[in-house]
Amino acid sequence: MAILEANHIVKIYGDIKEDRTTQALNEISLSINKGEFIAIMGASGSGKTTLLNILSGLDKPTSGAVTIAGEKINEISRNQLALFRRQQLGFVFQDFNLLDSLTVKENMALPMILEKKSSADIDQKVQELAALFGIEDILDKYPYQISGGQQQRTAVSRALVNNPSIILADEPTGNLDSASSADIMECFETIVENLASTILLVTHDIFAASYCQKVIFIKDGMIHSSIIRESGREEFAQQIIAELSVIGGRKDVF
Amino acid sequence: MSFSQIVWKMAKANYRKYIFYYLCNTFAVMFFFVFSTIYFNRQVDEVKISGSIQFLLMTPGVTLVLFTIFFISYAHQIFIKQRRSEFGLFMTLGMTDRDIVKLVLLENTIIGLLSLTSGILGGTIFSRGIFFLLMHSVGIGQVAFHLSSNMFLYTTIAFAIIFLIAVGSSLYHVFTENVIANIKSSKTAAALKNNSPIIGGIGAAFIFISIIGVYLTYAYSNYGGELLFIWAIFTILGVYISLNQFISLFIEFVKRRENYYYPRMLFLTSINYKFKHLTTILTLVISLVMITILYGTLNLSIYSMEKKDVLESKPYDIAFLQTETKNNLDQETVYSIIDQEDNRIQGYQQIPVYTHYERMEDDNWLVSYSFMSIESFQELTSISYELDNNEMLYFINSEFENNEQEEYYQENAYYFADENLEFTLKEIIAGNNINYVSDSAFFIINNTDFEQLESQFDGYKSTIHQINVEDWRETDGATNKLEKNLLAYNKKTPPIMDERTEGSTEEEFFKVDSKIKAFQSIKMENGISFFVMTVLSIIFFLGSFILLYLNLFSEIESEKEKYRKLHAIGITDKEVKQAVTKEIRAIFFIPAIIGAILAFCYFISMMRDIGGVMANPGLLLYFGGITITYLLVQFIFYLYARKKIIYKLM
Ligand SMILES: Nc1ncnc2c1ncn2[C@@H]1O[C@H](COP(=O)(O)OP(=O)(O)OP(=O)(O)O)[C@@H](O)[C@H]1O
Ligand SMILES: [Mg+2]
Repeated sequence: MAILEANHIVKIYGDIKEDRTTQALNEISLSINKGEFIAIMGASGSGKTTLLNILSGLDKPTSGAVTIAGEKINEISRNQLALFRRQQLGFVFQDFNLLDSLTVKENMALPMILEKKSSADIDQKVQELAALFGIEDILDKYPYQISGGQQQRTAVSRALVNNPSIILADEPTGNLDSASSADIMECFETIVENLASTILLVTHDIFAASYCQKVIFIKDGMIHSSIIRESGREEFAQQIIAELSVIGGRKDVF
Repeated sequence: MSFSQIVWKMAKANYRKYIFYYLCNTFAVMFFFVFSTIYFNRQVDEVKISGSIQFLLMTPGVTLVLFTIFFISYAHQIFIKQRRSEFGLFMTLGMTDRDIVKLVLLENTIIGLLSLTSGILGGTIFSRGIFFLLMHSVGIGQVAFHLSSNMFLYTTIAFAIIFLIAVGSSLYHVFTENVIANIKSSKTAAALKNNSPIIGGIGAAFIFISIIGVYLTYAYSNYGGELLFIWAIFTILGVYISLNQFISLFIEFVKRRENYYYPRMLFLTSINYKFKHLTTILTLVISLVMITILYGTLNLSIYSMEKKDVLESKPYDIAFLQTETKNNLDQETVYSIIDQEDNRIQGYQQIPVYTHYERMEDDNWLVSYSFMSIESFQELTSISYELDNNEMLYFINSEFENNEQEEYYQENAYYFADENLEFTLKEIIAGNNINYVSDSAFFIINNTDFEQLESQFDGYKSTIHQINVEDWRETDGATNKLEKNLLAYNKKTPPIMDERTEGSTEEEFFKVDSKIKAFQSIKMENGISFFVMTVLSIIFFLGSFILLYLNLFSEIESEKEKYRKLHAIGITDKEVKQAVTKEIRAIFFIPAIIGAILAFCYFISMMRDIGGVMANPGLLLYFGGITITYLLVQFIFYLYARKKIIYKLM
């Protein structure tokens, strides 16, 4: 059953009356089933962030429809969407989207706080994720006091804190060394396996993408192609590299 | 694209910041100018010389100057905070210090001149409006609006000085901080420094000590006015320190109680941030609220107390002194003037007195001794007393509360009794039974003695006339007419040039003493004080509101960003509204309430002077009334600000 469905999504930025328009998405259709673990890859500016924003209801498509769990997003009210985002959805933002005035711990706890969870639950969950991603030591620091990678791990933790059924992650490993990346991707893997969550992530990182079951390639706002993982990770990584070179990236990725 | 073109383009993109800065300066000039239209007003000036208004104008005047200094430098800080990151960028791109100085000076000169012009213009309109409104509502027709060169001069000078200091100090900051700090200056804003419970405690102690200080000063010393200023500085300092520390301390404390903290986290952190960064402003707002409420109350209190005093010190509605040649209208004529169909004369006393003057040998001081017959005394006070020849009573015409004064009179009486041996002093009696038209104390002797006085001392015969009517409030016309008639009569007789009019004038000596005229003169003097206070309160109120409002708006971009982020995480519009409401409410009302509480403490302490609040419960009503009015007006402004901000954020 498709938990997330996009039908002919078009997104045009800017005022159509003026000439300065950018077509970020051009007739994208995709369907994601419960429990799938999918990566989206594509060149910078190909429309990946735009797509995630539209799928999560943060942005409105110029035309086309998004259906989440059988409900059309444009028929749901702004408030319901907000509630959906914090209850069902975990979003890892490309720019982390951390609040400067809150500590790491408070940032992580925010979705739970909005949900009025008990403080005991909050503490337990925060500790658990912090331990998992190795950020226990910086829990009381403010975002401007920690590194980009630490901020990223905070952002990922926050996306997971409410045990979301769908996770949309925009380059969750972009600032991380391979060990930290592996931590995150392994965590995602576990979530998909154990909790049957659905994960859609955007990445430039072949290593990260190789954890997924499927990679969708986007080019100029359109779905170019997709490949499905059938065997081991290393083999899958080779397939991804091959596909990327077809799209027009450089062949010598390493 | 040349460098100056880039600068110009950035300026155009940031036009809002310039407008914000320009408006702040305009307001500052406006405040100055409105104040100076009062301070240099001719009629106010006249009252200023005569009395309490000088004191009334002093403190708010100083506060206004301090306030404006803060106001301008604050506006400048906000402006420069945003510009600093740009300057940092320009500097990394190769702009020289000289270029930056040139740019800052150019910008600020233009903005300064524009602000000065529009501020004075706005101030003129505003002030004229207030004068007009108050003249019609309070009925102080005497205070007319006018302009004078002093008003322009002082406004310009004051503004120029403060403005230059602000510009100078921010230039200093731009050059002393390093480039990265300049660029990041807006980003690290969320950084909160460490808090110390000890410093917070010192702040609280300052407030506490200063209030006790005010209490003791007013209870036990005569230097209330002078010391008050020092205590006020202590309080404000204390407020500053504790604001800076306490909210953070409180939050740290609360953080440990997560059940309490988590649901309020967004609110508390943002209030903490605001209070920390707005310490100066909030302190200022608190001081303004305190001064506005306190002075408003004192003004009303002084008015009501003076009114009570004056009316009580005049047992009769109309009184005057009459001699053979002066004020000598017969009773019939007086009746025809005063006695009105709807305001009948209730009582008319004519009390003959005899006044003897003696010059002190040591200092040439002229002392008067007035005599009254026991018969008249009985008529006045309904006290019957048998007096033999050469016996006397001493009647002091006032209700004694003050012992020093009583002693003076007693000594006076004994002295006279000693000098004039034939009289023995039987008793001293005090009471307020005569309007002050001739003397403040009288020797009471029996009728035979009184008739023979003339042969014993030289002196002057006169008669005290005292009239009571049904309603003294309705005696304005009659009193005027009486005064006119008496004056006309006195003109026809030769002028008096003897001991009686020494150091005074004949006109003064024979003046009609009436409740209505006394009441009118207090009303006018207080009316002007009231007027001045009202204008200052309006300035302060607007000033504090503008400060809060501008501040909220200067941060609106980062607030927007914050709520955008929260929205992405899944906060609903309703929750945003609630959060914003809670925050604005705290920012608008916490200072107002703290200010009101401090004003209350001051008020209670200052009332020690007149026997404590319990002795004057009516004054508490004034306090309550003014505070509630203030909070109500604040509430309306709060609703407005909230609407605007929610609209901007959504
Ligand atoms: N708010 C916006 N207004 C106008 N154009 C935009 C806006 N956001 C994105 N674009 C344009 O839309 C296109 C797609 O942007 P998008 O952010 O989706 O790219 P992306 O695939 O996420 O790139 P990257 O890998 O660099 O993050 C780009 O050409 C971008 O310039
Ligand atoms: Mg992107």
